[in-house]
Amino acid sequence: MNILGIETSCDETAAAVVENGCRVRSSVVASQVDVHHEYGGVVPELAARKHIENICAVVDQAVAGAGIGMGNMDGIAVTRGPGLVGALLVGFSFAKALSYGTGIPWVGVDHLQGHLNSVFLAARPPSFPFVALLVSGGHTAVYHVISHTDARCLGHTRDDAAGEAFDKVAKMLALGYPGGAAISRMAGQGDPEKINFPRAWIDKNGFAFSFSGLKTAVKRHIDTHADYRSHMADIAAGFEAAVVDVLCHKLLHAAEETGCADIAIVGGVAANQRLREAVSKAAGVQGLKLHVPDISLCGDNAAMIAAAGYHHLVDAEGLRGRLDDDVYSRARI
Amino acid sequence: MTENICITTTSAEKTLNCGRVLGKLIDRPLFIALTGDLGSGKTVLIQGLAQGLGIPPEHPVTSPTYTLVNEYDGRLPLFHVDLYRLSGPDDTIDLGLADIISGGGVTAIEWSERLDGGDFSPDIAIDIAATGETDRRISIFFYGTGIENLVEGMKHFLQQ
Repeated sequence: MNILGIETSCDETAAAVVENGCRVRSSVVASQVDVHHEYGGVVPELAARKHIENICAVVDQAVAGAGIGMGNMDGIAVTRGPGLVGALLVGFSFAKALSYGTGIPWVGVDHLQGHLNSVFLAARPPSFPFVALLVSGGHTAVYHVISHTDARCLGHTRDDAAGEAFDKVAKMLALGYPGGAAISRMAGQGDPEKINFPRAWIDKNGFAFSFSGLKTAVKRHIDTHADYRSHMADIAAGFEAAVVDVLCHKLLHAAEETGCADIAIVGGVAANQRLREAVSKAAGVQGLKLHVPDISLCGDNAAMIAAAGYHHLVDAEGLRGRLDDDVYSRARI
Repeated sequence: MTENICITTTSAEKTLNCGRVLGKLIDRPLFIALTGDLGSGKTVLIQGLAQGLGIPPEHPVTSPTYTLVNEYDGRLPLFHVDLYRLSGPDDTIDLGLADIISGGGVTAIEWSERLDGGDFSPDIAIDIAATGETDRRISIFFYGTGIENLVEGMKHFLQQ
């Protein structure tokens, strides 16, 4: 069963074709491919207008890349929320119209549910139930994942998302914006123990996160050390270690609380090498199995939407989309 | 009218409280523009504002940097907007900012200096400056009409 996935919740215009919820036939993310050359070389960012300019080309490319025609598609899955309403509406309306025109069934998928399903696109997927750390630019939360369509939030950030902290610290160190990856590269050359930035545990037994104080602590360090340029790598390393420590602890603690043997990290920050290493090491000690998506499927993409959509269409007929369905901006899980 | 008051706070809790007091006084749709450096406490102030507007604690106010616009339901709806990632005035059109501001709620915009000046005039402008590790100077400028109660209320708060 082939599902066409469409994702336009934030910055990326993405489309993908996934077979049986697990095999990626094609995955196109507009900011990573050449489609933007057709539109004057502007990398698509957050504007809905840019989603409109891109969506036909991106969907065409995904369908062509899958090697099967639109006629062989069994379903369409599209992100319904949370996200920016104007951006969501582009993909959502496109999917509705495509379904209406072709008669192919469609389903609206929660963006966060999509991320949680991204681990099923890897070779050895987790067994239910498992716990997942969803960590990206806009979200940081721990979930108890019951099924492909059911997940319970154990706790989330009270202020900034982890990925946002990475990007803002990159900006403070003049590494450009967004600069999460640049921070990590620089951190590799620094000593993570040189500067001891605060760990925001909030409650070590709870699952709430806070990264705003850490961001402010880094800013304060920069403002009070005129020579900070001489030890930028140590700042980056110390900052990264503070984030990784907290994320790792909360995920492992969630596994302990729920009794789950499988754990996962999903979302854009799941691409962070030191986070993967730290969790992998800790998981090994405790006999837990760690699941992470391929790097290309950590950031926003449509393959994860197609994977989640497959299970919505197969497992839960009642979730099938209707023409009067609408998008939503706020997180529901 | 243009009035301004300046409040100094010595902790994030006190900045939050300042926002809460202002939020409690607000009884009509309003456009609040916020400026201040990274880590100065703009989101903390809005978290207090949300409490003052009666937004339930189950809906915690988180940073809108990525999501751009976050909506909350209180006595009045709160639209929490962050222009940090925007590149220019065109983006504010795509964001539908004019519709949000005239949408009957309280619109609080962080990094409002990125707005195209002439098109948007706030009822209240708030600038937060870090003057120490946890010390902040909060300058509030009142521009709108019909918000005398806010000015009086905040002056009263300042005297306490």
